[in-house]
Amino acid sequence: MRTRRNLLQLFAGSLALPFASARADEGGIAIVDWALLETALALGLKPMAAVELVLYQKIVAEPALPDGIIDLGLRGALNFELLATLQPSLIYGSNYSAWANDTLMRMAPVREFSIYLRGQAPFEKAVAAMRGMAGDQGLQARAETYISETEHFLAATGERLARQRQRPILIINLGDARHFRAFGSDSMFGDVAARMGFVNSWATRTAYSAAAPVGLESLADHPDAIIAVVGPVPPEAARTLPQSALWRAMPAVREGRTVWLPNINPFGGLPAARRFARLLAEELKRVA
Amino acid sequence: MSLNRLRLATTPTLSATLLLAGLGLLTAMLFGWQIVGDWPAPGDRLAGLILFYATLPRGAVALLAGAALGLAGALMQRVLRNPIADPSTLGVVSGAQLAMSAALLYAPGLMAVAREGVAFVGGALALFLVVALSWRRALDPITVVLSGMLISLIAAAFSATLILANGEYMMSMFIWGGGSLEQQSWAPTISLVIRFVLAAVVAGLLIRPLELLALDDANARALGLGVTGTRLAVLTLSVFLAASVTAEVGVIGFIGLAAPNLARMAGARTLRQILFLSPIAGALILLMTDGLVRLVSLGISQTVPTGAATALLGGPLLLWLLPRLGGSLRVTQQSVVLAARAASWRLLFPALLLLVLAACALFVGKNGEGWALATGHILDLVVPWRAPRFIAAAAAGAMLAAAGVLMQRITGNAMASPEVLGISSGAGVGLAAVLVFMPAASRLVELGGAAAGAVIAILLVIALSARHRFAAERLLLSGIAVGSLAGALVTVVMARGGPESLRLLNWLSGSTSRVSPEDAMTALAAAVLFIAPLPLLARWLQVLPLGLSFAQSVGLKRSLAASILVLIAALLSAASTLFVGPLSFVGLMAPHMARLAGFVRPIPQLIGAVLIGAALMVLADWMARTLAFPYQLPIGLVAALVGGPYLVWLLNRR
Repeated sequence: MRTRRNLLQLFAGSLALPFASARADEGGIAIVDWALLETALALGLKPMAAVELVLYQKIVAEPALPDGIIDLGLRGALNFELLATLQPSLIYGSNYSAWANDTLMRMAPVREFSIYLRGQAPFEKAVAAMRGMAGDQGLQARAETYISETEHFLAATGERLARQRQRPILIINLGDARHFRAFGSDSMFGDVAARMGFVNSWATRTAYSAAAPVGLESLADHPDAIIAVVGPVPPEAARTLPQSALWRAMPAVREGRTVWLPNINPFGGLPAARRFARLLAEELKRVA
Repeated sequence: MSLNRLRLATTPTLSATLLLAGLGLLTAMLFGWQIVGDWPAPGDRLAGLILFYATLPRGAVALLAGAALGLAGALMQRVLRNPIADPSTLGVVSGAQLAMSAALLYAPGLMAVAREGVAFVGGALALFLVVALSWRRALDPITVVLSGMLISLIAAAFSATLILANGEYMMSMFIWGGGSLEQQSWAPTISLVIRFVLAAVVAGLLIRPLELLALDDANARALGLGVTGTRLAVLTLSVFLAASVTAEVGVIGFIGLAAPNLARMAGARTLRQILFLSPIAGALILLMTDGLVRLVSLGISQTVPTGAATALLGGPLLLWLLPRLGGSLRVTQQSVVLAARAASWRLLFPALLLLVLAACALFVGKNGEGWALATGHILDLVVPWRAPRFIAAAAAGAMLAAAGVLMQRITGNAMASPEVLGISSGAGVGLAAVLVFMPAASRLVELGGAAAGAVIAILLVIALSARHRFAAERLLLSGIAVGSLAGALVTVVMARGGPESLRLLNWLSGSTSRVSPEDAMTALAAAVLFIAPLPLLARWLQVLPLGLSFAQSVGLKRSLAASILVLIAALLSAASTLFVGPLSFVGLMAPHMARLAGFVRPIPQLIGAVLIGAALMVLADWMARTLAFPYQLPIGLVAALVGGPYLVWLLNRR
């Protein structure tokens, strides 16, 4: 494990090479991945441009966007022309934006931090991304504070939920009134819940941090679990589910062990991890 | 042309009836086995509820949705006198899905109370467009299905754009697109029962007028039938059925195609028999498919959504049906729109237009504040980004237009276009395969995968139509069948909802924003390479539309000429697909515009179409870039929106 991380750092170091000569002054960076945008904002950086800010405000919500960041369009269809006229000195991206790397490298060095890789727990990778970004920007101290705060917060929140975490937890997203997908141990939600001391009830293999949609009746396979429904919830599901006999018959629903969390970015960085832990704790305390 | 004359190669035999009975038995056993599997242990109240609220309604919905689609297909096939019409080939399902996606995003309140209504409006609009596109060709079966395929593609691209632009309810939309029969209450069953019974009663009342419709229109009128009114009523009824199903369970394709044909195989000959047996066949097929899907996924996770699985059946089914359709799909000869022939110097007009648009594309754009003319320093910054897009767009437009001229001339069908050759869908499968199996592949590998998919698709189409000496309708039908199969495969990958789904959606919606200078040069080189030799083949292009006998009389080996031209058309469309995605109306529109501008003979039409196609695509790219700045619209969609209405008008004008 140790060697692998060293290897990764070595690899990251090689990526950083072209950039060493082009250290960005604050304001000169562009970010084409939401998790890294969260990370930058948490470090107190203000990027000059970032992607899909309209939806960011709905789904990611925090850290709040400061004014004056330029929207680069959809994550899947970046506005390269606009970005080029802004002349960024550095671009941050992830494996999700790797498709654009060739193009982005034509305007500025690209620094890649990948948090979500198939079958790997993302929390440590989010920590590494924050450290890497902070290292680039000379904000190491701020990053270490944020990281230790986060780790402490997760542990402390877990302690406060000592009674609840005797039960396993099932973290889901609703697709519609008939389908959900569950977050496994290779998701940020699953990883954070584990760090808070919960057992993840979803042991089945997952891909991309969440399983493919499964039928609602599969909830019956988790009779002891707490169910955490993470937003966004489709309006039609929110309307029909409370009346559904099957939904109401599920042990977690019947016994009031179901909590509804607001929108949280399932592919976020450390700020999303904190937001999830905080909202989960609040809601669990509320129903307790 | 009437269905009475439709003779399937199989005669009604005992074995065919046994087949239907066997299917029924197998389906019942499969479902019974599932019920046994879900049977609750004594005292297990929850398992009992699951059996009652999930397993049983799922079976009921499968039967009802299948029956509704089977009936809708039988009605459509009857009224359009078209054995390959069904709600999915005519774009009704895609239209309904698009309307639901749009309503979910922009009018969620409406979606919560009037799902079925929203789906109906979408489906009806799609069918209206299909009918409008093929009206002038007297709703000739192949033209109707070609139009349906185009409308489906456009609706799908629209849905893709909506999904991409609104990440919030992405999963819902993926689930609809895949078509899942999963249930958690009896409400959808009840809704479908009411709607199906209602529709069946109305269908019963319409049997007599429908029987008269088998006569030709003049005779039917003489017997006192309001031909148009009857057709309208029947089509409305089938859209109602299909939209109800789509509203409850999402996109379930091709049941409406399979069921009536299965009914005919089992010996149904009269209208009454077909209308009676089709819903039964549809119900059995869907329940069986769903049972198999559940069997494969073992209750853990749906590897293949049911709707995608039925769509996978659709392609092979069409292929299997092809040789059995006899003369029922005879193509009506192209009605030549007479236009005053224009002198060749007039080709300067489209050339000039292209130049003006090119200047626009390079110099005019938007920045953070609004419209801006790029000059000096800013121009230096934006040109490296605008120029490759403009070049790739122009090259792709030119290639699509040339491919369109070839296709329309080979088939003699005004609705033939590169999209319907199955090439772009083939490219999509190639790309999907690369994205799934080699997630970290480079752009070059992706392009290679897409090209390989396109080549395989076209080889399939050629192999399938070669046996029939490239008769126009075989070629088109093979293209449609291969396209449907490939489209279904893409749907399966898309329903997984992973990162590759997003990449596929992006490609599906079409974008030039990623084009690098090297890509642009490649596109330009391909355009020159494939278009330049075409004038040498002008004689073929002149002779082919005049039909087989004429071609033979002037000593042209039709199959050789056609296969070479099809191959060139395939290369042209494959190359353009790589850069601008699978869809645009350009290949369809540009040849018509050129012809109506007076460029009638092959070479002027080709040059005119190439110029117009390039200009259209440049315009579309420019609009895609600027209209929603900084967000970018998909180029194919913009092209379709700009040209679509014009095309409908063009094809219908007197």
